[in-house]
Amino acid sequence: MSRNLVELIRRHDQAAAPTALDLLKAAAERHGSVTADDVRDAAAASGLPEATVYGVATFYDDLNEPRGDRHVRACSGTACFAATAGRHIAELGAGLGLDVDGVKGDGSVSFGEVVCLGFCHSSPAVIDGRTVVAGADAVQTVLAGAPAPAAEPDWVSLLEQPVLTRSGDWSGLARALRELEPEQLLAEVEAAEVRGRGGAGFPAGVKWRFTRAATGADKFIVANGDEGDPGSYIDKYLMERNPQLVLEGMALAGYAVGAAHGYILVRSEYPLSKPTLDATIAKAHADGWLGSDIQGSGFDFDITVVEGAGSYVVGEETALLACLQGLRGTVSARPPFPAERGVHGMPTVVNNVETLANIPYIALRGAQAYHDLSPDTKTAGSKLVCFNERFSRPTVYEVPFGMSMRRLCDEVAGGMRDGHTVKALQIGGPLGGILPAHLLDTAFDFEPLAAHGCMVGHGSIVAFDEDMDMRALTVHLLEFGAHESCGKCFPCRIGLRRAHEMFSAGTPVDRERFEQLLETLELGSLCAHGSGMPAPLRSLLTHFADELGLAS
Amino acid sequence: MQVTVDGTAVQVSDGATVLEAAKRAGSWVPTLCFDERQAPFGACRACMVAVDGSAKPVPACTTLCREGMVIDTTDPTARRVATAVVELVLSELPSAPAPHTELAAVAAKLGVEGPRWPGATHPVAHDLRHPYLAFEHELCISCGRCVRACDEVQGTFALTAVGRGFEANVAAGIGSGFLESACVSCGACADTCPTDAITERLLLDGGNNGGPPPDAPRLRRRLSTN
Repeated sequence: MSRNLVELIRRHDQAAAPTALDLLKAAAERHGSVTADDVRDAAAASGLPEATVYGVATFYDDLNEPRGDRHVRACSGTACFAATAGRHIAELGAGLGLDVDGVKGDGSVSFGEVVCLGFCHSSPAVIDGRTVVAGADAVQTVLAGAPAPAAEPDWVSLLEQPVLTRSGDWSGLARALRELEPEQLLAEVEAAEVRGRGGAGFPAGVKWRFTRAATGADKFIVANGDEGDPGSYIDKYLMERNPQLVLEGMALAGYAVGAAHGYILVRSEYPLSKPTLDATIAKAHADGWLGSDIQGSGFDFDITVVEGAGSYVVGEETALLACLQGLRGTVSARPPFPAERGVHGMPTVVNNVETLANIPYIALRGAQAYHDLSPDTKTAGSKLVCFNERFSRPTVYEVPFGMSMRRLCDEVAGGMRDGHTVKALQIGGPLGGILPAHLLDTAFDFEPLAAHGCMVGHGSIVAFDEDMDMRALTVHLLEFGAHESCGKCFPCRIGLRRAHEMFSAGTPVDRERFEQLLETLELGSLCAHGSGMPAPLRSLLTHFADELGLAS
Repeated sequence: MQVTVDGTAVQVSDGATVLEAAKRAGSWVPTLCFDERQAPFGACRACMVAVDGSAKPVPACTTLCREGMVIDTTDPTARRVATAVVELVLSELPSAPAPHTELAAVAAKLGVEGPRWPGATHPVAHDLRHPYLAFEHELCISCGRCVRACDEVQGTFALTAVGRGFEANVAAGIGSGFLESACVSCGACADTCPTDAITERLLLDGGNNGGPPPDAPRLRRRLSTN
């Protein structure tokens, strides 16, 4: 990230101006596309150079899709693919009389794809304007012109003492402000060994310790709500059903590291998340849980909600910081780490929203109680997992670590629907390995899954049934990978395109050349997108090689 | 602190990168997005090296030295990844880079063959409207050196990365070209470009009359042959 641009943004931000990206999004909402005049206006208003703002305008999906008065998008996420093999996209396009990214001549209707709406429990999903329609008849409902918002099933806790599905009530913050010094809270979080829930599993306490120790005029807490993993709707549930718990976790992080301001970045694909969080923040202000001198403690903390604009890689922490400041959502090499140079170049904690939602429990009950939540394993705490529509009872569940994948699938999610059988699971997002049915006795935990090239990741469990064409799945995964590459590092930018070309050409694929490409991606890429995409592809090579159309 | 590069012990200061240590030791490390006048960028991934015997190579330009670090710039895995990356870069260009360019030199020194992964190339798009600067977009490998030269060296911010993924490229102004941008014709972008995507035009090349792009090796060839 350019230090000069970040400094320009920092100086300008004192006037609390919207970012360049906010301004471009507003322009696209107003008249369907971003024009050169919009770029000039956004540059003038944000204090950034015109070329820089133009670069932002060309990066995000939401700013580059042609939009008519009525903008209809079909979900191209992996859960919807598992449900229809992509048929819902073709049917919707045919019904509207438009190709993907097409607009009616009179500008009345436009059609596009969107990467995961978080309605994976009710696939396929379609978003019509800001209304999400989901379920087997979603396409027909949208084509009939009377879209009704899809229902979302309640979440379920398997724990007697829920951590994440317990409604936030500020009791953890209350106790911390009353009884714990910031250093004591930080020590408690370190002792709890909270591993990041966004995918990487990095210890939250380490990030906090570095940020607390770093010097800076300001420090910031950033909650990563950019849950771009197709097949995941965990953070969506947290932000929309339990927003107070997430905000409480952010405030506790601020108290522990000495930050007075937090940001939470949410996806534009979740149109309800930002308004829900904004309303909760307003209420917290009214109740004295955010703002100045919280509950008379002398601790100040405030939170701003920022909405993204369509980019998977923005979920990577340095890309997230770039997006948050209105820049192109590309990855930056570390060091410097956000703990040293984050928002406005200041020390910043970046944690996933689920990670932060663990903190109030730890503040209230301590590290040992947190460890006790998963008695069968060394891994501390509980985890939210979510299942796709192929299961009988798909929703978000709070589970202990250590249960077998088979118990999760059969007992928790009720097995597969309509007599289908599991062919394979993709666990933890698009960068997670694929577990074939014969390995379902593997425990849901960091190390056991890693032994099979899989990961806990963010906790999504997407089942593919006996009908899934594994070569089609490979093309689906690579289309996502290539489309979402931020374009910064060469292996990912070119390599994922080449991998997609190899499999989408319809001709036999040379396994050796493909594996050489995977090695280049895995070892060469700058971030987890390029280095992680090989994991599911290697799983497919290991377990389903005879279905991939490889050259003999 | 002291580190060892390919068996040679060298002293480096705190905060030095592995690439700096390698240079100090006289070891060659392939680079494409690196320019010593600019902050390390870590995009091209050609500078992969092995440290402390780890099986997983690291980029030399953005990895900091630690006391006693043992660096191997010729580690086979690291070199294999670097070579593959350069092979990928060549595969996105519609024609081979001119022999005098940095990209061609790195590819030759690595002995890049192939391509093992042929595929789509960048569409040919020339902007020759500016009197002093020519931009042949199909030769752009998105190394970001021109954008950073304009930002970090010149402070003009006339250039930006555009697009995403394989479609990434560089644009001046609001995609309008150098002529309608904040460009002050300093030439820092052309100076740092490793592929001749951006070059300085000379009056002899046709000046600002919008003629066809001159033969690729321009300014530097003239200088070297004079």
